[in-house]
Amino acid sequence: MNIRSLRFRMTAWYAGLLVGALLLFGVSVYVGLERYLNLTLQGMLASECRGIGTELLSQLPGKNADWLATEINEAYAPEVNSRFIRVSRDGAGVIYLSGAPKDGGFDARQIPFPPPRGDKKEGSRQIRLASGQELLVDTMTFTTPDRSHFVVESGMPYQQIQVVLHGLLLTLALYTPFIVLLAVGGGYWLMRRSLEPVDEITERAEGITSTNLSERLPVIRTGDELERLSAALNRMIARLEDSFQHINRFSADASHELRTPLTILQLELEGIVHNHSLSELLEEQIGSALEETERMSRIVESLLTISRLDAGETKLDKLPLDLGALVTSTTGEMSILAREKSLALRTCAEDEIWVAGDRTCLQQVIVNLIHNAIKYTPDGGTVDVRVRGDVGKAILEVVDNGEGIPTLAISHVFDRFYRVDKARSRASGGAGLGLSIVKSICAAHGAEVHVSSQEGRGSCFRVELPMVAASEKREPTTVLRKVSF
Amino acid sequence: MRLLLVEDEKKVSSNVARGLSAERFAVDVAADGQSGLDLATTYHYDLVILDLMLPKLDGSEVLRRIRSQNAHVPVLILTARDAVADKVGNFEAGADDYLTKPFAFAELLVRVNALLRRGPVSRSSVVRVGDLELDRLSQQVKRSGKRIDLTSKEYSLLEYLASNAGRVLSRTMIVEHVWDQSFNGVTNIVDVYVRHLRVKVDDPFEHKLIRTVRGVGYTVTQDTYS
Repeated sequence: MNIRSLRFRMTAWYAGLLVGALLLFGVSVYVGLERYLNLTLQGMLASECRGIGTELLSQLPGKNADWLATEINEAYAPEVNSRFIRVSRDGAGVIYLSGAPKDGGFDARQIPFPPPRGDKKEGSRQIRLASGQELLVDTMTFTTPDRSHFVVESGMPYQQIQVVLHGLLLTLALYTPFIVLLAVGGGYWLMRRSLEPVDEITERAEGITSTNLSERLPVIRTGDELERLSAALNRMIARLEDSFQHINRFSADASHELRTPLTILQLELEGIVHNHSLSELLEEQIGSALEETERMSRIVESLLTISRLDAGETKLDKLPLDLGALVTSTTGEMSILAREKSLALRTCAEDEIWVAGDRTCLQQVIVNLIHNAIKYTPDGGTVDVRVRGDVGKAILEVVDNGEGIPTLAISHVFDRFYRVDKARSRASGGAGLGLSIVKSICAAHGAEVHVSSQEGRGSCFRVELPMVAASEKREPTTVLRKVSF
Repeated sequence: MRLLLVEDEKKVSSNVARGLSAERFAVDVAADGQSGLDLATTYHYDLVILDLMLPKLDGSEVLRRIRSQNAHVPVLILTARDAVADKVGNFEAGADDYLTKPFAFAELLVRVNALLRRGPVSRSSVVRVGDLELDRLSQQVKRSGKRIDLTSKEYSLLEYLASNAGRVLSRTMIVEHVWDQSFNGVTNIVDVYVRHLRVKVDDPFEHKLIRTVRGVGYTVTQDTYS
């Protein structure tokens, strides 16, 4: 999972905020409830003390301690309710002490007396017994009309509050992770659902290059931001397509329009060569003019080829053919050019590498790459041409140990008219279109062409063509042959 | 032999007409599709050279109408339109050959001759140029009775030059005939082979048969002209 993805990050934020909110809520509820229960308990104990003090102690001068015990037991039943009640009289000690509660929660005899603080003994305090129990005890002092002082204490174990609080804690602890998990899962699902179109747009946008600008991104008809995004991207692609078409159209038209004047120029010059006896100088000059006309024709031809391939106007005869065999035969034809420069032109082609392609076009790719390698490899070097199959791909590699390509130039070698060493290439007659043609043909075949190079060590051009399935293999049918004469 | 040239570009048509006349053809020129069609359907021509981009009536349409009336006259398409789809379409419509602009006149001439010769003329199995002798059946080459060993490519090249003896063949024509159009323009393969051929065919002899015509191409001829 990509932790930098919007989906992950938003879900994480969402989950974090939710956990924080739930924690805050839980703590507030817990503290609030604890406070409330404490106060309620205190109030209850205080009213008990007050009850004992005002209703019972005032009658005491006429009654004995047994009467008091009976009255308290009847009114408050401390053993049954787990209460602690103690009444003491100044100078006479304890006159009433509640018995052990039925649930055995605490031992009333162990509860210490309130610290002597003069007359001020009122208020509640917390007591922790040796057995570990905690009690809340409220103390009040009363003075009866016969001027005797009483201290009334009423207490209750904290346990009852703690049972409630534990219950709350348990509920929170059980439900919070469950709610968070549910919310995170739901949030992730929602995010994925709403971001799915973005993934699709991204994928399709990645696939759009200069060769398939006619494709469009899927437009999501939801009326939301994503629809606006995809529509905006589509309009941008449309504008790009327009300008690309303009460029292509321009190259094609310009090349096309140049052909007629070139024909005339060539015919006129040839007419002069054939029909007049010329001085050697004139023959030389006209010959030179003819050579330039031919060079111009070649450039025009190449430009037109590239423009048409790029515009998808060229109808290719894509038939299954054995790339290995085509490479072997083409290399054989070109070996004479390598011998001229004392280069070793070596071929290593696997058999039965079938691809679907236009034979003439693919041969053009092979010829251009080998010619390029021969041109930029000094005498005595080697040029290796390799063909192999690799998981559904036919790979053609032309590797030389020549002068290589500078790092800065490597991304431009397929550009039209680009030449690494301008002066030298012009002298060797190239127009800088050979590799552009290679690229255009490859693009038209759904193939990729890569170049890697180390200056001074050599270059490697690598073409990856999709292989065709074994069932599609068949000998190419005879295509249109030109009339022979 | 009477030829009809339908071409709207005046300079192209006058050059081609002049060249063809020099080769002893009678040439009529039409500058638009309609007049071309009128001429083609009125008179009997041995060959029609037809440009595709024509005013008034498109070349393809002219071709279709010519074919509907006269199924036999050879038609050579002259065009700047070289898309494969067009080529196939025009072959289906009955074109016999095509030539894309710009072209060398020699190329046009070779194709015209090929179209006119096609059919009745049987090619003899032995080609002779001066003391050079090529046997098409055994692919043996002799000069002054001495056997010359050639590789198969060298043989194809020499045969092409010799069977068009006296005509200058452009590098484009040679590449497309002997090799494949993929080699066209990219490589200097023709020059390299011609050099090899010269070493074997011309170097041992006083009289050189293979000549370079600067800017145009190569020719095999026994004349020692200019």
